[in-house]
Order: sequence, then structure tokens, then C-alpha cells
Amino acid sequence: MKLVLDNLTKEFGGFVAVDHINLTMTNGVYGLLGVNGAGKTTLMRMLCTLLKPTSGDIYCNGKDIFKMDSEYRNLLGYLPQDFGFYPEFTVKDYLLYIAAIKGIRPVVARKRAKELIARVGLTKAADKKLKKLSGGMKRRAGIAQAMLNNPRILVLDEPTAGLDPNERIRFRNLISELSEERLVLLSTHIVSDVEYIANEILMMKDGAIVNEGTLDEIISAMPEKVWNCVVPQQSVSAITKRYKVSNMKSENHGVDLRIISAEKPCETARCVRPSLEDVFLYYFGEKVGDENDTL
Amino acid sequence: MMKMTRFELKKIISKPVNKIVFIILAVTLCVVSWLTIGYVDYVDENGEKSAGIAAASALREAKNEWAGYITEDVLRKVLEENALIINSEEYLSADLTENEKAYSKGQGFSDIRRMINQAFCGFQEYNYYRADSVTQEEIGSFYDRRTANLIEWLNSDEQEGRYSEQERKFLIAQYEKLETPFYYEYADGWAALLEYIPTIIMLAVLITGFLVSGIFSDEIQLKADSILFSARLGRNKAIAAKIKAGFITVTFVYWTMIVLYSGIVLAVLGTGGADCAIQNGLAGWKSFYNITYLQEYLLTVLGGYLGNLFILFLSMLASAKTHSKALGVTIPFILLFIPSFLSGISVLSEVLGLLPDQLLQVCTAVSTFNLYQIGTRIVGSVPIIFVMYFTLFCILLPVLYQVYRKTEIK
Repeated sequence: MKLVLDNLTKEFGGFVAVDHINLTMTNGVYGLLGVNGAGKTTLMRMLCTLLKPTSGDIYCNGKDIFKMDSEYRNLLGYLPQDFGFYPEFTVKDYLLYIAAIKGIRPVVARKRAKELIARVGLTKAADKKLKKLSGGMKRRAGIAQAMLNNPRILVLDEPTAGLDPNERIRFRNLISELSEERLVLLSTHIVSDVEYIANEILMMKDGAIVNEGTLDEIISAMPEKVWNCVVPQQSVSAITKRYKVSNMKSENHGVDLRIISAEKPCETARCVRPSLEDVFLYYFGEKVGDENDTL
Repeated sequence: MMKMTRFELKKIISKPVNKIVFIILAVTLCVVSWLTIGYVDYVDENGEKSAGIAAASALREAKNEWAGYITEDVLRKVLEENALIINSEEYLSADLTENEKAYSKGQGFSDIRRMINQAFCGFQEYNYYRADSVTQEEIGSFYDRRTANLIEWLNSDEQEGRYSEQERKFLIAQYEKLETPFYYEYADGWAALLEYIPTIIMLAVLITGFLVSGIFSDEIQLKADSILFSARLGRNKAIAAKIKAGFITVTFVYWTMIVLYSGIVLAVLGTGGADCAIQNGLAGWKSFYNITYLQEYLLTVLGGYLGNLFILFLSMLASAKTHSKALGVTIPFILLFIPSFLSGISVLSEVLGLLPDQLLQVCTAVSTFNLYQIGTRIVGSVPIIFVMYFTLFCILLPVLYQVYRKTEIK
């Protein structure tokens, strides 16, 4: 499976949401990382044929996905960010309905729905109405619907947003299990999700892919270094104004800081291995908080 | 496709608000049926009034004594019987109960007496006592008077310039084509049914609007549209299934209401008189459509069905285009109530005669005098609205399909 994005652009009025993206994706898990408003959802909607690009093309194995129409959508599984459902439907009914609109024969649909309900841990809730399910359970029903047609391309938009830590870990593991032999594109602004399950990371900012590669490639490509130091409380304000601080922790004898900087920020600082969170802060740092804040 | 349609229907039926809509439909049916049954009453020889099955049965018996062709002899007999009643003590008494006793004696021929009133009054007038002064000599012109009244009305200053010569000839020819003498029998069941059936049809369209307006827009409101449109059949067969579900819902609700309402009313008031010309009735006397009660009923229910389909699919189109269920729900209200506000403007009567609300009240439309020229032919509004809205409905279906198919999720 090969998806090629060729100079892909989407504008809304004068606003450029996706800006001339060129990208090739094959089987594997791709983590699309970016702050809110970076254009991740717009990009994913174009990949799911929900939006037509203003310019540029998307090719699946060499064919234009909009010309492939239902042939392409047959390969696709999608879990949107705002996962809507039919509140009066039970989990089973919902999956059977989605199976019907995916063109799966009723006999196969029943079998597949049963398997997936078990796989996502919703067997006991299969006959419960969707409106009665918790957020995590709804998300699991969401991933189950995306998997019904055993898609070759799985697009998951912020799948772990709003989940508690337990649910998130569980969900992450589920995605890892499901990612074999297919192309999975996972968008999130939760760095650890990508860090754990993505083979390839795509960093998106202002509609463009600003960096891409494996976790190690992304980390090693960061032009600045990461420093760790303990400083007195009174120095914190001055340091945060001068450097990007990726972590701050109060200790008995001062404040433990994790600083991103090309130069050594203080005498006591020691260079440490950067994490993906540091890289995220390096690229998107100016978007976090206000200009004059200290945190 | 069948499976998808079943799920679409399940979406409609399972919504709590729609369950309330079904209850409202049932209550509406009961109330209108009760009102219709109360339309027929009977006054017994003691002057006491009653309604319901027994009253309908007694009235049917009394009226069917006069069943048959309304020949000159029958008309003379009616005048004789009427003269006896109006000269009786009961009729001349100041006591209302005595008056009712007098009325009870004339119930059997009351319809024929009313037709005499209509024939011997002006075209736009009605005098309840006119039959009392019609002479045995005059009554021979009963059927001619109907046409003469029309000609007099067409020549009046009020109608000057409204109809072309061809249209005048058409109306007169239609009147002359009507087979005389009229065949008469008790037809109060049909008369009552046709009096109230537009209420049932209009309430059906207004209430069904709540059921079908969300078929397309709910996907967007519930944010379920992304999954729908990214599914293999989401932009083709799934939309067709929605259209089919809308069609099934409109059809099921409409015909259930019509069959139950007609069944209840005709079971109570009787099915007799189906083959009588509508000109036997008060509302149909002046109509230039030469049809029977049964034909008028069939035209009314088929027109109502077409009107329901057209208006409700227009609602679905509005909600599919704007993603607003509220707008979809208001479309039937707009289409039904705007013509009512404009009906007082006589210059608009020809335009108003072609609006879709007319399909919901064909039994009223057959009594109007809106004429249209198509090529060299003159036709009334009824055949035009049938052809026009059937064509528009057929156009609506692919438009609705394409509009929803092209939806983008922004």
C-alpha cells in the first residue's frame, strides 16, 4: 500500500490550512504530530475523501483517490476526532449499520462485528445503547467500526483525546496490535502516544510538514541540545525568559530544569538525551502559552 | 441496500422525539375521526337530535327512500312534501322542539331540497328557504337553472375580463356534459369524509415533517457524517437508502392515516352513494369536474399522497443542503400557511391554484374555477397540479441525491 501526497494544498477563503505537502507513506504507523490548528484534521479529511484539495493530488498505488471513489474508500478505515454516533443504537446495531454502508455482506458483517466487539473489549456492552457508554468505550466502538472492513489504510484522528491514562494506554496497545500489514496514520498532540507506537513521525506546523523521520532521526536532527540543571528559585524567571524550558520540577534545594538551547545555559548544566517532547517543544514551543508567561 | 434502509428506518423510529410524533399522529387521527362522525346527525320524530352509528343508519334509511334518479316527478314530489311540512303545525310553532319534529319529516329529501335551493338561487348565493317558493311549473327547469346560473355569473360585471371566450365555452360545455337526471342516494359518509380529509392530509404532512427532516441533517448534527462519507457506499447506496427510508416513512404514515381514517368514517357513516355525482352535494353542486364521490375521494387521497411526497422531499432537500433540521421542519408550514394568507388577493387566485397546498385539498380544488390554457386546450387546476408536482417530485429525487453526495466535511 502506497499513498502519495503531491503538492497537496487546502485553502478556506484566504486561510491556508494545508500548504503544499509532498509525502509518501507505505505500510507502517505514521504519527502526525502538531499543535491544535496545525492542519492535521484537514489533511486527514482529504485523505478520507471528505474534503477535496484546493490543489494537488493524493494517489493510492498510483491512482487518484477521488477518481477511485468507492474503490478507495473500500480500503479505508477512519476514526474521526469528533466521533459522532447514533445514540439510540446499540454497539452491535451500530457496527452492523457501518458494516452495511461499507458494503460488507450481512453474514460476514455479523461475524466481523462479533470478533471486533470482543477484540476491543466491549462484549459485555454489545447490547448497550451507545449513549450509555463511557468516553473510552465509545472510542473503542469507534476503532471497531474503523476496522470492520479490515482496512489497508487506517486513519485515526486524535484517537486518545479525552481518555483517562488507563484507557489511553489500552487504546495505544490496541492500535499497535491493529497496525500490522497496513498503513496507519495517527494524528495527535499527545507526544507520548506517537513516541510509543509510531514507526515514522510527521511534524506538522501551519499546514506544512516541518520534519519527518523515525523517532531517533527526529531527535538527532534537532539543531539544539537539551540540558538539565538545578537552579535557585529566584533564577527561574530569568532562565525561562531566555530559553525554552521543557520541564520544571521543584526540589528541596532549588528547581530542576530541562532546557532546550544551543549553548550551555548555566555552569552546572549537563547535556542529556533529548526526548520527543523536547523536539515538540523546540518546533512548536512558541505556540505554547502566552508570550510573557513563565510556565 | 435493504439492510441499510432498515437501519435508516430504525434511526427514525428509535428517536425519543419521534415516538412522541407517532403518539401525536394517533391522537390526531382519533380527534379528526370523532369530529367527522359527528358531522352526520339525525333528528327523530320526537325532535331529538343524535349522532353516531345509529343516527347514520336512521338517516341512511330515511334518505334512501328517495334513492334513484332525480327526475321531474321526484322534484315535484319533493315540493309537495315540503309544502306539507312548511304548512304543518310543528313547522309554524314557536317551539323549537316542534320545529325539529317538522324538520325530521323532511330529512329524507333534505339533500334534494337543498339542490333545489342551489338551482333557484343565484350562482354565488344560497337561500335555505328558496325551495319553499319554487312552483311546480318552475321545477321543470331544475337542471337548466344550474347552467343558466353559471352563464349569468360569467356575464356578471364581477367576472368581466376574468375568462376568455374559450374558457367560458369550456365551463358551459362541462356543465352541459354532466349526465342528468342525477342519480341520488344517501352519501353522507362520503360527504363527511371529504369534508374533513384535507385536515388529516395536512396534519399528516406537518407532523411527518418532524420524522423525515432529520434523515439527512442528523448525520451532520450528530457528527456521524465523517464515518458515513468515508465508507465505501457512503456517497452512493447509503444516500439512496436514506431516500428510500424517507419514501417509506412518508408512504407508511400517510396511507396508515388515510386507510384508518377512511375505514373508521365509512364503517360508521356508510359507504353508500359512492357512484353519485359530486354535484349532489353542497360543495360539489357548482363544480365543473364531472366526477363521482368515489372518484373525488381517489383524486383527493392520491393528490394528498403526491403533495406529501413533494413537500416532505423538499423538506429533506432543504435540510440536506443547509444541514438544518429546523429549516426542513418549517418547509411544510411555509407551503401550507403562506397560500392561506394570500388567498384573499383575487388576482393571485390562478397562481395560488397551482401551489402544492392544493394537492392536499383536491376535494376543495375541484370546486374552484381556476382555468389554464395549455396550447389550445383549457384545463382546470387539478390535472395540472398532478402532472406538475409529479414531475417536480421526480426531479427532486436526483437533486437530493446529488446535493447530499457532494457534501464536504469542513
